[in-house]
Amino acid sequence: MKYAGLVLANLGRNKLRTVLTGGAIMLAVVLVCLLLTMPAGLDALLDALASNTRISVHNKAGIVYPMPHAFTRKVRQLDGVAAAVSTTWFGGAYEEAGRVTFPNFAVEVEHIRAVYPDYPIAPEQLADFERYRDAALVGRQTMQKYRWRIGERITLRSTVWPVDLDFRIVGEIADEHAPYLWFNREYLDQALRATGRPGLGITGMIWARASDPNRVNAIMREIDDMSRNSEAETACETEKSFFSNFFGSLQGLVTIILIVTGLVTLCIVFIAANTASMAVRERSGELAVLKAIGFGRRVIFGMLLAETAVLSVVAGVTGVLVAVGLTRALRVFAGWSPALGPLGNFLVTPTVIVDGLFVSLVVGMLAGVVPSAGAARKSVVQALHEVF
Amino acid sequence: MSSVSIGVPSTPLIAIRGVSRRYVRGPDDIHALERVSLSIPAGHFVAFMGPSGSGKSTLLNLVSGIDRPDEGHVVVAGQVLNELSEDELARWRARHVGLIFQFFNLIPVLSARDNVALPLLLTHLDKRERVRRAETALRVVGLDHRLEHYPRTLSGGEQQRVAIARAIVTDPDLIVADEPTGDLDARNAEAILALLRQLRHDFGKTVVMVTHDPRALRFVDDVFHLDKGVLLEGDDAERAHAAIMLAAGHPPAGTGTGR
Repeated sequence: MKYAGLVLANLGRNKLRTVLTGGAIMLAVVLVCLLLTMPAGLDALLDALASNTRISVHNKAGIVYPMPHAFTRKVRQLDGVAAAVSTTWFGGAYEEAGRVTFPNFAVEVEHIRAVYPDYPIAPEQLADFERYRDAALVGRQTMQKYRWRIGERITLRSTVWPVDLDFRIVGEIADEHAPYLWFNREYLDQALRATGRPGLGITGMIWARASDPNRVNAIMREIDDMSRNSEAETACETEKSFFSNFFGSLQGLVTIILIVTGLVTLCIVFIAANTASMAVRERSGELAVLKAIGFGRRVIFGMLLAETAVLSVVAGVTGVLVAVGLTRALRVFAGWSPALGPLGNFLVTPTVIVDGLFVSLVVGMLAGVVPSAGAARKSVVQALHEVF
Repeated sequence: MSSVSIGVPSTPLIAIRGVSRRYVRGPDDIHALERVSLSIPAGHFVAFMGPSGSGKSTLLNLVSGIDRPDEGHVVVAGQVLNELSEDELARWRARHVGLIFQFFNLIPVLSARDNVALPLLLTHLDKRERVRRAETALRVVGLDHRLEHYPRTLSGGEQQRVAIARAIVTDPDLIVADEPTGDLDARNAEAILALLRQLRHDFGKTVVMVTHDPRALRFVDDVFHLDKGVLLEGDDAERAHAAIMLAAGHPPAGTGTGR
């Protein structure tokens, strides 16, 4: 501790350089902390999105492969299944031709209420949804994105089916995480028949709700057993598992971002090491004098390393505080805007804080150890010769 | 072993026996010192003089334990310095030697008091005692009114006084000064030489100094003349001394030439 004054005085020697180096380390820590929130954030996001009783039933070959629509009825009749609804991807593009900007599905309107009791939809809007053939329920995110109002009419051009459909918006799915547009399956079926094609005898996916969470695994096994050896064998999974797989590409993105973060951190180690080397070189005269008056190699090494360590820890603590502040701000903003909703799940946990501080300390140590060791190792007479 | 003596001999603090030091600089093998032997009594103020490249700074480095000889022995205060490792030498210097440099070499981000207290960081003294001793040392050199001043706000003479205070703050046996007046004007140079002599008189310190400054002859007890790595003896030493006295404006006959 008695060297603390000397260490702090040396850190204040070139304030601009100290601030810039500390800023670089701080940014690395902010970046690392924010990225480390992603795995837990995605998990929390999935928890928020998924129910523990809903089961996804889709073709074993993949979600783009259909299943017979009649299979929905069989699922519905299974013991322990409270309700089931078929959903079929419409792939409708609004305005921007050829590009789908939100998920839209043809559904069995009469079963929506039973499968999604947790979705906040006003009863009178659900009643209208069931009443009107061209009715659509739209998630809040999408409503706000396009500034649609209930009662408004919109047209979607399908990128999958050879039809364009007009819809009247009769209600909103008042959930921050729901971007969907649902409409009546019969409406698509009739539109297809009107073009001279056979009706909609298939379904893309079936969502079933178990009456008891403890029965979910057994029901999934029963459904898969029921479809075994058929033309469309199924693969059941929980809603959380489905979303997790669906967002699987995000995990790859996270991996890439983590690699980039590692490289950025390495760059900052080099920058900080270069700065530390310059600082040591500029003070070679003073260091030679300190050695001459009796400061040993260990003391010199410890003092120089302590300078980078102190700077790194201060920068690390600041970086962690900034990261905490940013995620909290995002949480607040997420409450105001549905588009930012998922960001509210990304929180800097105590583990992330420890990781961030550890990164800052490692950056400081790696950056400081080489120049400090070099300065300490030099013999006093060599140091004096180089300077005087 | 030859010096031009101006003072009275007493027990040797420094004994150098057959010391040689060579450096390899690029393709050249430089013989900085060749079989030098000398003794310096405790409580004396001694100067090493000679032209550039004569080996006087190398000799000073050996005496202060900064460097080690290739041959021979350096004994200071009973300690054979050749036997010590680099770290042991550092500890020994911290306890026994106070160093003064030509360019003062104070730490610019520390106040005068903190600069002086710097060597005390290597002791077990608590902060209050370190501060007390630093202030005492600054009082001895007449700078107790400049405790909080930073080096950039002090004149060259004042900075050298701070450096002297730093050299004496640990109460060392030996004070070693490498051209302490080399970067000072005449008035400040005289004041610094007077201060070094005062340390020898009032505190019984042994002071060894490398200098080109002929004014130093009026303050020191002994002068060792070196040339091309060799300690001059007999007539050679007398001639070198006379030349310096002449340069200082004193007739050679006026000097107390000794051994």
